[in-house]
Amino acid sequence: MQEKENILRILQETKEALNNKDSFKLKELSNQTIHTASMTQDRENIAIAVFVYSLSKLIQRREYQSPKSWEEFYKLISSQIDLVMNAIRKKDDENLRKVVEQVRIRMEKLSGELKFYVQDVFRKAQINKASKIYEHGISMEQTAKLLGITIFELASYAGQKPEGAPYGQTVDIKTRIKLAEDMFK
Amino acid sequence: MKSLALPTTKKAIIFDSGSIINFTLNGLLGEFRELKKIFNGKFLISKEVYEEIVNKPMEIKKFKLEALKIKELISENVLELPTSLGIDESKLSAKTQELMKIANNTFFGHENAIHVIDSGETSCLVLSTLLTEKGIKNVISVDERTIRMLGERPENILETLKKKLHTSIKANKENFKFFKGFKFIRSTELIFLAYKRGIVKMKNHNVLDALLYALKFNGCSISDEEIAEMERL
Repeated sequence: MQEKENILRILQETKEALNNKDSFKLKELSNQTIHTASMTQDRENIAIAVFVYSLSKLIQRREYQSPKSWEEFYKLISSQIDLVMNAIRKKDDENLRKVVEQVRIRMEKLSGELKFYVQDVFRKAQINKASKIYEHGISMEQTAKLLGITIFELASYAGQKPEGAPYGQTVDIKTRIKLAEDMFK
Repeated sequence: MKSLALPTTKKAIIFDSGSIINFTLNGLLGEFRELKKIFNGKFLISKEVYEEIVNKPMEIKKFKLEALKIKELISENVLELPTSLGIDESKLSAKTQELMKIANNTFFGHENAIHVIDSGETSCLVLSTLLTEKGIKNVISVDERTIRMLGERPENILETLKKKLHTSIKANKENFKFFKGFKFIRSTELIFLAYKRGIVKMKNHNVLDALLYALKFNGCSISDEEIAEMERL
């Protein structure tokens, strides 16, 4: 795990944002982890970015707004975050990997009817984070591999984002068309 | 007696995963087949790309149909593997690993080498080199921008990383020379050609715009300005 202090701060702030049901703040925190994840490409960093982004989506669901459901949800998530933070503090990378993997599994067990919604949110969060990493200059294939998604999923999502001009334009359009035309002569 | 000699193909287009995926997702494989018919050469994919566009999606129900459609292109010889031109697969794979190692030790942030590309994309570059050595004229069709920037303007990767990561990024510029000299097109240039040559059968003044944006929205790295310029040509 790279940039340990930064991740610990993000997780602490995640707990606070969760307590305040602050979806916007959670999204922002998720984006902060993605800067580090793009550089280090640590799987745990990426999993945390996906987890935090998923939380921002999950707390918008009405099912979690009833006091009983919310209490159960908050308790579970807080305890999972504490476990992740402890593993980071102890520099226990092996345990960290296990704890991070367990987060999603536990969340899927939270409620029978919400199981598929949680799965869907995590899948979409993976694609969303992948598109962010791709924006950082990492290739599509490498990004898809890091996030465990297919290029099919990433291509259609990344295509919705504005092109990162001027860096994406490397050769003028006439030259590129001529190149194609010459091949077909 | 039947000759065992390989066909004397003099040109080839090498496809990265993104371009093929884009034609498939947009239902443009008919146009893709027609393009192959008017191309007096080969459409090639490496086995690394085959893995990405056939084997992996075959395991995912949502994309299984697309994988099957692509597989059909291969059984029809519209798309072929490099062995069809006598390229040694093991040599291609070994050189891919070598070049990937160089690419992924070119940009550094906080002393970390940033892993910018993977094997599928890299294999397209290596295949291009091997074809050029055999005297076969070739271009690489790639829709995503990283590999294209690496080949055409690697400084732009450096700038993108700096801008997006908000930190100091260093580049081993000595490595840039390994990525020079490759020629790239995108699915958009191919569909532009298909449109100009009457392969696209739809008749409407919006067709070209619709095609180019469909490709953009499925992952082709092209700006609105580039599309506007293409439409004026």
